[in-house]
Formats: sequence, structure tokens, C-alpha cells
Amino acid sequence: MTPTDNTPGNHDVTGEGAGPGAMKPGLRNTDGQGIAGHGSFFRQTDLSREDAAKATDWVRKHVDRRTADLGGRMDDVREHMWELEREGEIIVHRITDAHKPVTVHTLFGWEKKIPTNQFWHHKSCGQCGNIPGYPTSLLWIMNNLGMQPGRDYLDETDQTSCTAWNYHGSGIGNVESLAAVFLRNFHQAYVSGKQHGFDAGHFYPLVHCGTSFGNYKEIRKYLIESAALREKVKKILGRLGRLVDGKLVIPEEVVHYSEWLHVMRNRIASDLQKIDVSNIRVTAHVACHYYKMVHEDAVYDASVLGGNRTAIITSVAQALGAQVIDYSTWYDCCGFGFRHIISEREFVRSFTMDRKIRVASEEARADVMLTNDTGCVTTMDKNQWIGKSHEQNFQVPVMADIQFAALACGADPLKIVQLQWHASPCEDLVEKMGISWSNAKKEFQEYLKEVERGNIEYLYNPELAYGGAK
Amino acid sequence: MATYAEMQQIFDDIRGDFRYDLELNGCLNCGVCTATCPAAHFYDYSPREIVQLLWTENVEQIYDVMQEKIWACAQCMTCAARCPFKNSPGGLVAIMREVAIAHGLQSAKDVLRPFGRVMLKLITTGNQLSPDMIQPDHFPDWGPNIQKVEGDLKVLRKAIPVKTLQTVDTAWEVSLKTSVEMYTIWEMTGVLKSLEMMDENLFDVIEDFIDEKKEDYEDRLKEQEDG
Repeated sequence: MTPTDNTPGNHDVTGEGAGPGAMKPGLRNTDGQGIAGHGSFFRQTDLSREDAAKATDWVRKHVDRRTADLGGRMDDVREHMWELEREGEIIVHRITDAHKPVTVHTLFGWEKKIPTNQFWHHKSCGQCGNIPGYPTSLLWIMNNLGMQPGRDYLDETDQTSCTAWNYHGSGIGNVESLAAVFLRNFHQAYVSGKQHGFDAGHFYPLVHCGTSFGNYKEIRKYLIESAALREKVKKILGRLGRLVDGKLVIPEEVVHYSEWLHVMRNRIASDLQKIDVSNIRVTAHVACHYYKMVHEDAVYDASVLGGNRTAIITSVAQALGAQVIDYSTWYDCCGFGFRHIISEREFVRSFTMDRKIRVASEEARADVMLTNDTGCVTTMDKNQWIGKSHEQNFQVPVMADIQFAALACGADPLKIVQLQWHASPCEDLVEKMGISWSNAKKEFQEYLKEVERGNIEYLYNPELAYGGAK
Repeated sequence: MATYAEMQQIFDDIRGDFRYDLELNGCLNCGVCTATCPAAHFYDYSPREIVQLLWTENVEQIYDVMQEKIWACAQCMTCAARCPFKNSPGGLVAIMREVAIAHGLQSAKDVLRPFGRVMLKLITTGNQLSPDMIQPDHFPDWGPNIQKVEGDLKVLRKAIPVKTLQTVDTAWEVSLKTSVEMYTIWEMTGVLKSLEMMDENLFDVIEDFIDEKKEDYEDRLKEQEDG
């Protein structure tokens, strides 16, 4: 077959291999049958070299390879969720304009709405029990952004943990129990506003724990896909008085606190930041259960890490002006293991020291490792001291992204950021940020005497936790 | 050792879970899952092996891996995020663990014995962890710097500026009504029954605790009615 002007190829006569039927420079078209088997229907665009280059650049810039390769193969469970609501099976707890949502993009380029106001804080048992600086830093930043407790957020006693740590650790528990707990807690979030004079749906659940976040998204998916599961848990929720008009309440989006921090990062940096952190070398560890469970829902941003890794944590550190240092074991788990942190601690500390802390210290020379989950801070923070017995004489301060942000905004490292509960050398980071740890500690010890006398400072009126203080 | 029929039943229960078909879609033996698996670094464990055994329906070897190997998985789900076939080896392990417990396998009892304290806390309070569990005596390997400020735990917790967190034996203050709702969930979903099969002594302690809390709640409701 003789190539003609209609045969695919590079028609730029000035280029190498130019002429009818020829391929672009560097490639060969030996049979004149089109490019890579596109077939006889293929027609060249007849663009000039400059225009072709421009078009190619545009495509490279705008077409996300993940969208092209994978997105179409995966169902967006939210579409089925809206169908179920139309069919009268469920009520969707909506993110409304009152929640002042910001739209972000997830792995496949899908849109996700992140509310920025009117939150029902869904706490983490691991954070509250072990790393209380997580929730206190979050509430402190919200207060400083002008959010009013009782109107713009609520922290109350009517909630349980998600129970997923136990499930992933022990296998005791099951999909029904996890689903019932999810629906119970999110029902409470939906109705919680009424006690404070607002409509149902006023407060939107903000999930603090990474495992709760992953677990709830997985369970929401199962609930939407399985009529049998819905039927089983409906009986339980009915017994608890946790149905609305006889229906299950399912949230439009499951939202993690670090997603809120991501969308608020620039405002926090411009309105609240007081300390220059440009001398701080940050490594990020994103929780596995944030972006590996129901991975299609994790937030990605083309301007952060090239859009190739989830933007969470990195975006915040960058907005605050810190140096974010990449490292070779970025994708690795921290080694928490759920069951392992209790009963296989040799595994936990070996993995976290060899795969995370050593690399952060020796390869990235990090001043701090930031993360966004409960187990990750616990694992990486608490297991460094024992490394000395194996001559692993390196340590890196470990804390949450929100704690780092609060420090950068001038929060007290002990009273607010609660770094006294951390075992890793957070003092070093605080000092490098220009804050005197010894002064802060002295002041905190004085404050403890006041606490003993009953003079306690609160981030919100305690009565709100019990439905009061209207 | 189980009979072949018992092993077959165990496999039938695994594949009878509605999640099974969502988590297992085929396998090319590429090994990406094992290459990224933290547990595979330290244990004789491979997520690829789990998927292959289930895919080929090898009931005897499935039973064999349920004795110990499935408990090595760290449940990080890196395997699920990486698998080109959208398998979730970690999700399949979760199903296998549930089935191991439902069948009362001795291996599950042995593995879970150290988990009793967490179970007790979770089932009775609705929290999985509390400040009084994270004390230097319990975790000597966490070193002397486990807290940077010395002091009485109650006072240190009172110094947290959030009312719901000023607790010692729970991570946050959980209302009594909430706890009682939680007990109902445990009962109606068979969780208490699983617990009884795994550890009868622990179950007895938990049952007594739950009965007491339920009585407290009923008394409170009665007081409200009367008052």
C-alpha cells in the first residue's frame, strides 16, 4: 500500500520522517495502517508542528491519566445513594450552603464537597485518650477563625467510637455492628441541632479519626449496595429510636478533619499564622485508612505533589511555608497494625523505626513528621526510645498536621497543643520554631496548680457538651 | 484438626459473606500486594497467597492459613489500593478472621487473648482506649519520656481545655444513654455471642457490667418519670 495524504502520519514536511504516512520523529510507520493500530478510520488533524505541540501540551495539562485509565471502571456510590433517597429508602444528610462547602477533587477527578462550618465533632478514642492535642488544636483554630461554639460546632457526650480499631484488630464485631454504630452516631449528628434551637441537619459530622473515616466510607458503600444489610440494621436503628420518618440517615459525604484543614489552609496561613516556619523540614505520613480504604474518595490536588499523591498534610505544610521533604518510604504504612500495637510490638517498633523514622531522619533530615491519624502518631511517636537498644540512635518529633498548624499560629505548646503527652522530642521542634519550651513548661506547671484549685480554662462552655448553654 | 467437611464449611462461610464477591475479582499472581505489604516484611505472610488460595478454592490450605497467617495482616489496606484487579486481600482477611471466630478456632482464641483489655473497654464504654490504659507500667518499651510533664493523671486530664476529654477511664465522657444504645447493638448483632465463644471469663465480666449499667439507666428514666 502506498501512503497518501489521507494516510495517518506526520504531515509536517519539515520534520524527520516527514511526508504522507510517516510517523512523528523517532517512530516508524512501516505498513501505513495508522498509529498503534487505530485502524483505517483514523484521520490526521493536519496541525502544524507548533499547533500539534500546543494541543499535546493542553492534553497533558488537562487530562488526568487516572481519570482516563481507571475512573470509568469504578462506580461512584453516591449516585446510587441519591437513587435510594429518590426511592424513599433513606434520607441523605445534605451539605447545604449554610455549611459553606468548598469543592475539591478526589482520586479520579470526581468532586467532593467539604463543609467548612457547622460541625458535629466526631471524636477519636485514640486521639482523646492518648493524643488530646489533636482535638484541642482543632477547636482552638476553629475558635480563632471566629467560629462560635454551639452554633458553628458542637462537641457532645452522645457518641461512641466507630469500633473499627477493635474490628480490624480482633475480628470481633461484624458488618452489621459497624453499620449500626455508624448510623447511630451519624443520626445523632443529624438531630443534634434541635436541642440547640436549630433544624435537623444543622451540624454536619466531622470525623477526627482516619480509621473511622475509612471504615465509615466502606460501611456507607456496603449499606448503599446491600438491601439485606439495610434491612438488618434498620431493625436495630428502629429499636434505638434512630430512624427519621422510618428511614436510615446517610451522610452526603464522609468528611475527615484533615480535609477541612486542607480547604482552610490558605485562610489559616493568611489570617492566623504568626510564626515563620520556612526553616522547618517537614515529612508527611498520610494515614493508610485515609487514602487506601475507599481510595477513590481521597482528596487530590493538581497543585500538590503533581496531583499524583493525596494532597492532605503536604498542602497544609506548604501553605504555612514549611519545606516539605519527599522520602523514599512515603507510601509505607506506619506499622500500627491494630492488633499488633497491643500484642505484636516487636513488629510495630521494628517497622516504624526502619521504614519511617530512620528514613525521615537520615534521608530527609526531617525536623518533624506530620500525620493525620491516631494510630500513626501513636506508633511513630511512642516507639522511638526503644530503638536505642538496637543502636538506632535517631529520633524525629511526631505530631498531627493540625498540631503543627496550631503551633505556627501561636498556640501554647502545652496548654493547647498538649505536646506533653508525646514521647518523641517535640521540644526540639518547638525550640526551632522560636518558642521556648522551658518557659512554656514552667507556665504550664503553674497552670496545673490553678487546675487543682478548680480554675480551668475551656475552649467552649462545658454545658454545651450536655445540651445546655443555649 | 478439622475434618474436610468442616474445612469446606469454613470456606463456604467465607465465600457466603456478601463482601466476598466485592473483594475478590481475579488474580494474575503479580505480587504487587505482597511487595507493598508491611506484614510480609516480618512474617511468613503473603496477601498474594491468601488471594490465590481463595481464588483456587483450596479448602485445606485456606484452613491452614487461618491458624496463624491471617493474624499477621496489619489491615492497612495498602494491598487493596495497589491491586490492579481491585482485589482487597486485607478485606478478605477481615472476613476470614470473622469466620475463624464464628467457628471458635483455637488459633483465634490464642491470638486474641492479649486483646482482652481493649475488648473490655470497648464493649463496656463505647471507647476503645482510655488514658489509664496508656501508662508507663503498661508500656515500658515506650520509655521514660512517655509524658513530658509529671503529675497526677486526673489533674493532667483536667488541664485539657475541652470538658468531654477530662476523663481518666474513658477517652471522652460517654453519656449513659449512649452506652446503653451501644449494648443493644452488641446484643442484636451477635457480638456478645462471639465474645462468649472467644473468652467466657471476659464475657462474664462484661455481662455483669452491662447489666449494672442498664439498671442504672432504667433507674434514671424512672426518676425522670417520677420527678
